[in-house]
Amino acid sequence: MNQLALNTKDFKTTKIPKLQEIDTLLRCHICKDFLKVPVLTPCSHTFCSLCIREYLKDNSKCPLCLNELRESMLRSEFLVNEIVQSYQSLRSDLLECLKIEPRSTETSIIELESEPDDLEIKGSSKALFNISTDDDLQIVGTNERPRKRLASTTFIGKANKSNTYKRPSSFQSVLKGSTDRKNKQPQAQCPICQEAFPIQVLERSHLDECLTLQSLGKPPKLTVKKSTPPLRTLSSSSSSVDAGFRMSKKYMEKEDEVSHTERYLNSTLQSNHQRLPKVDFTAMTLNQTKQKLSSLGLSTAGTKQNMIVRYSHFEILWNSNFCDSLDPVDEGELRRQLISWEASHNTQTANNNNTNSIIAKMKIKSTNRDSTYEKLLVDFKKDTFNRRAWIVLFKKDFKRLIKEAKEKLKSSTTTSNDKNTQPSLELIENKPVIVDELTDTDLSKEIEEHLQNKEMQAFKEPSTSTQNE
Amino acid sequence: MASLPKRIIKETERLISDPVPGITAEPHEDNLRYFNVTVEGPAGSPYENGIFQLELYLPDDYPMEAPKVRFLTKIYHPNIDRLGRICLDVLKTNWSPALQIRTVLLSVQALLASPNPNDPLANDVAEEWIQNEAGAKATAREWTQKYAKKVEN
Repeated sequence: MNQLALNTKDFKTTKIPKLQEIDTLLRCHICKDFLKVPVLTPCSHTFCSLCIREYLKDNSKCPLCLNELRESMLRSEFLVNEIVQSYQSLRSDLLECLKIEPRSTETSIIELESEPDDLEIKGSSKALFNISTDDDLQIVGTNERPRKRLASTTFIGKANKSNTYKRPSSFQSVLKGSTDRKNKQPQAQCPICQEAFPIQVLERSHLDECLTLQSLGKPPKLTVKKSTPPLRTLSSSSSSVDAGFRMSKKYMEKEDEVSHTERYLNSTLQSNHQRLPKVDFTAMTLNQTKQKLSSLGLSTAGTKQNMIVRYSHFEILWNSNFCDSLDPVDEGELRRQLISWEASHNTQTANNNNTNSIIAKMKIKSTNRDSTYEKLLVDFKKDTFNRRAWIVLFKKDFKRLIKEAKEKLKSSTTTSNDKNTQPSLELIENKPVIVDELTDTDLSKEIEEHLQNKEMQAFKEPSTSTQNE
Repeated sequence: MASLPKRIIKETERLISDPVPGITAEPHEDNLRYFNVTVEGPAGSPYENGIFQLELYLPDDYPMEAPKVRFLTKIYHPNIDRLGRICLDVLKTNWSPALQIRTVLLSVQALLASPNPNDPLANDVAEEWIQNEAGAKATAREWTQKYAKKVEN
């Protein structure tokens, strides 16, 4: 999906080049990618929550119109969020359906043969297009859609009552009967339930019906008819495209289990997390800074400057997640995002020898399971980190480390300061149950440092060569 | 290598697949944040028929921070100094992450078409430009001939 999303010029070579405009409009002007958790500014511009918050950290104007703008002025836009997501899930199918088929004059017989198929493609592409602009039409309110939509909303409202369940399905059976009779009409495949219908029926009523069914949470009969060959002309294109198409189909099925309309209608911000405040670190001592960070479960490695940078990025992640996002992730995930952000930004320069040696040991230990280790490392960089696997891989080492740390702690006379800077170790002395949590945070630190080492090495070569020039 | 933000990859792809007329920008092989840029002198300006080499670097904080752009070819211009540094608002105070490499380079090209001696960077050039515009333009043309001459294929 991301690979496809990269190329913004896709639609210019399709049957409806103007779709390019929608494609561009649904993108953030800062990251140039599809809007992710869009927020609205008072000057009516829309950006990704994370992008604009990051920018407003050092600036206080709108990137587009340069009007004054502060973080507190941003408002979440649920509607745009759902539009973007629903569009994204349809995009690759749209592209596939609207592709201009190369026509050659020599193979006229084959062309004749494939003509019915062509019709089908056109029909289904039309249908798909209808869905994609569905949200747009609703906003503009230019055709008869609003009336229909009203009906569907009441459906959703009564979703729990059994009689509303029955109505659409009986409807469908009536329709099916009519399909049999009018068999000679050009047919098209419904993109949702995959069944073939006359194009007119499909456009007039079936699509609405199917979408309503879906929003009610009833899985339309997807898997049964999957192997029907109505999209045969597609297989004439390269197999990789075909595979991609099928993959996106799968993605669509998964994504559309919850309808975007329903999600929008039910959307409320109900976060039990307070927004994270701005902290003035200049007046704080190193220890106070460390306290602040460890109270949020953040790493206190590096200099004060490193910690300030870490906190302010965490603040952005936190506020974007809990103030703007419709389905916020938990704090642990935010911390993981923070670490992978730091790893890719190289903000931290301090490396203490202790952790270096641990990493060295880990490396030696892992030589026989090198491939697993490398794979995990790659996953981490790609932001698809598998915690469990990592913990299993280094379980022994972690246990030993904890043991060492405990002994160290016992032998040293603990001052009040130490207690504050190492709360997690304290906890372990009292409750050995939390061991797993500690390994997690420790582990993240290690990975972070390790990645940085690697990156520093990788960086040295090209940078020196450019200096020489 | 530090991971390259998707936005940079996307911009690079577009610069190569759909280049701006009169401007080329190619990333360096070792460092994809470093671009070799050429800008054609705009028609009707003293820089017409010249091809100017520039370097463009995307800092770590890009797009939150403006790209660093510098002329490598010597040029006689009131807003560009001897080291090739450029006095241009969008590269300094008026930078916005909604701008991109493409728009910045277009602004640079526009600056060649309309020099602004009232907000100078190269003071001597600006002075000459105000007092004797025709003479300054002649010098600019001369420098273009001398340093930025098109290489005929």
